[in-house]
Amino acid sequence: MGIERVESSDAELVRRIRTGDIGAYGALVSRYRDRLGRYALHMLGDREDAEEALQDSFVRAYRSLARCDDPARFGAWLYGILVNRCRTSGARAARRRRMFVRDADALHGAARADQSDRLEWTDAVDRALARLAPESREAFLLKHVEDLEYEEIAELTGAGVSALKMRVKRAREQLQRYLREAEHV
Amino acid sequence: MFEHEDDVVQRVIEQLRRPVAIDPALDARVMEVIAAPRPPTRAIWPWLAAAAVLVSLIMWRPWSRSFRVEAAAFQFVLVAPHANSVSLVGDFNDWDPKRSPMRTANGIWATVVQLAPGRYRYAFLVNGVEWRADPGAPAVPDDEFGTPSSVVTVGGRGS
Repeated sequence: MGIERVESSDAELVRRIRTGDIGAYGALVSRYRDRLGRYALHMLGDREDAEEALQDSFVRAYRSLARCDDPARFGAWLYGILVNRCRTSGARAARRRRMFVRDADALHGAARADQSDRLEWTDAVDRALARLAPESREAFLLKHVEDLEYEEIAELTGAGVSALKMRVKRAREQLQRYLREAEHV
Repeated sequence: MFEHEDDVVQRVIEQLRRPVAIDPALDARVMEVIAAPRPPTRAIWPWLAAAAVLVSLIMWRPWSRSFRVEAAAFQFVLVAPHANSVSLVGDFNDWDPKRSPMRTANGIWATVVQLAPGRYRYAFLVNGVEWRADPGAPAVPDDEFGTPSSVVTVGGRGS
């Protein structure tokens, strides 16, 4: 499916914003908040960092809206800004050596015994994902979770399609290995 | 016992594809930021700037040699005979097309801006929609907004 053209309403909203209707931007924020938030959360592994990156990306996109060449593909353009923002944030986080913390939603349910297996799995997946190199994690998430085509990912990241395929392949192998290790701990 | 690799990865993908709920209050925070007038600098910046000036003065000893750090006028030119309007946008004007509209004479568009020493990314916005890098300047290799842009570096001495 990839980054699809969302009817004509993205373009219409961008047109309204460009004519001074700031409120129309709220509809775009609301439309893309959760989907882009999921990418940021998985990429950065920390809810606070993810929301900060997301908010910053929305603000930067608004202030650079004149640079959005194809308003009907506003979502893809916004993705590009977030991907770059996550790279910067991820590098900062790595320098701070922050511990990977799983989704707060999962933490809330941790006490429930009937969900313990699922939480264990969720935790193992989060930890395995966090161990991947950032460029492998980025490629894996964009390809398999956000469902983008390799050509679209290449456009967003600036990496070549062959390199991206290698990163995804490596990510798949490493995830398998990390999860196998987790099972035997 | 672990299942086949493809099954494991598929389970991972299914897990990660689950919807994530981001705090809806983020919408209000974004709208608040974009609706607020942008202050030219944060409160800490004047102090940082003052410290930078002080360090510069100590290192460069302007009292012992002729040296001034100040903005200078630079003319930007684009040949676009079929354009109806061209604006210069860049780091120096917050990429706001209204701040540096260019004037034309026989299809040669030009404008002059004051630039202090530094490195600036810029581009030309043609007819309000078409983004063009400066054919006569180095391109920015990895522009985060996905549109072509150029870079100009203004030196501190005699540029």
